[in-house]
Amino acid sequence: MKLELTINGRVHSVEIDPGEMLLDVLRRLGYKSVRRSCNSASCGNCTVLMDGKPILSCTTFAARAMGHNIETVESLSEDGKLHDIQESLLETGGAQCGFCIPGFVLTTKALLEENPEPTEKEIREALNGNLCRCTGYESQIKAVLNITRKRGGHVNE
Amino acid sequence: MLINVKEYFKPTSVQEAFELFNEDRSHSVLLAGGTTVALMKSSTIERIIDLENLGLNSIAENEDSVVAGAMVTIEDFRKNPIVQKHFGNFFFDAFSLVGSWQLRNMATIGGSIAPRLGWSDVTTCLIATGARLIVYDEQGYKNISIDEFNHTPKEKKPLITNIIFPGDGYHYSFKKFSKSTFDIAIINVAVGVKLNDDIIEDTRVVVGSRPQFPTRFSAVEEGIKGLKLDATTASIARNLTFENFEGGSNLKASVEYRQHLASMFVERALLEIREMVL
Repeated sequence: MKLELTINGRVHSVEIDPGEMLLDVLRRLGYKSVRRSCNSASCGNCTVLMDGKPILSCTTFAARAMGHNIETVESLSEDGKLHDIQESLLETGGAQCGFCIPGFVLTTKALLEENPEPTEKEIREALNGNLCRCTGYESQIKAVLNITRKRGGHVNE
Repeated sequence: MLINVKEYFKPTSVQEAFELFNEDRSHSVLLAGGTTVALMKSSTIERIIDLENLGLNSIAENEDSVVAGAMVTIEDFRKNPIVQKHFGNFFFDAFSLVGSWQLRNMATIGGSIAPRLGWSDVTTCLIATGARLIVYDEQGYKNISIDEFNHTPKEKKPLITNIIFPGDGYHYSFKKFSKSTFDIAIINVAVGVKLNDDIIEDTRVVVGSRPQFPTRFSAVEEGIKGLKLDATTASIARNLTFENFEGGSNLKASVEYRQHLASMFVERALLEIREMVL
């Protein structure tokens, strides 16, 4: 079936299989930041934003995405400059092998849009669907707290 | 990917969706949030009927009840001001333990009940609140209990359109035991208590993921009715849960393990409600 997908503000017209998942279509279109990992809704590596909310593209039917705005991490860095969330993850050592980072960045972006000054508890709750096998998660939490500080907000530690 | 899917429908009315489904039930599936369907890896599903455009994604308040569309996502439900007004932090806290944020943005309330999964935390909570379902089938709309829905044979299963929550002044607590929030519960417990001062006027004690479907433990409910909500009553409830436990063993846990956990959680839930209210 034919599908119109809006990804990072750009409209793609794409031929899909009706039983296909969004993850497959995104990767086929070249959005390789969207990782395939567990493929069973457990790890968060395939996270994308649908209308601003984090969802798992491995378990979302591509056909469902029609009429919604999909956002991947490719939309964040402008002119080769990293987004402050990405910068912050690098600074705290939250980006070791880097595989899980696109998912983390997108979930964090959605969190900060909904709640610009999250407490540590709120950060942990929001990020608990994103698994990282390199770190002990502390660096990611620190990174998010640092962004609040950098953006001039109050840090709820 | 579901390999044999040939058609993907997006109907715009409940009637149309139901008729599409009924045309060929054995090869069709109704799609709510999609998390269960996507993970089924079924080869018999050939037709997907996506319920997204049926207009079932809002929450309304009646005089003494809250009515939620079946397509409201778990995350939208727990953060909804009407829900918070009627249930305080119960759903906000309980559903923070359901899946991950991503999954809660996808999974819906109706879609959590429809596949009749024994481990669904959502179903356990809904039964504890006395929620009923508005469903649609050949006869039109009906108001049925979750229990009735579960006992409808598969070939007669109706389409869930709304969930009605009575606003009857209960206080609630939810407990879940799992390795992580997005793992399937080894046991989940929801307790609702209606109080007259500090006396338990009525109660609903629900245990799910036993691993069978969540059910009310009437022996516990009857046993603590009329008692003062205190530590002694909570421990009576723990013993009653232990003595009357019905469940089974599977890969996740043995029946004995579940029996102990459920008993402890019923006690803790009652103590938590006491802490909250009294």
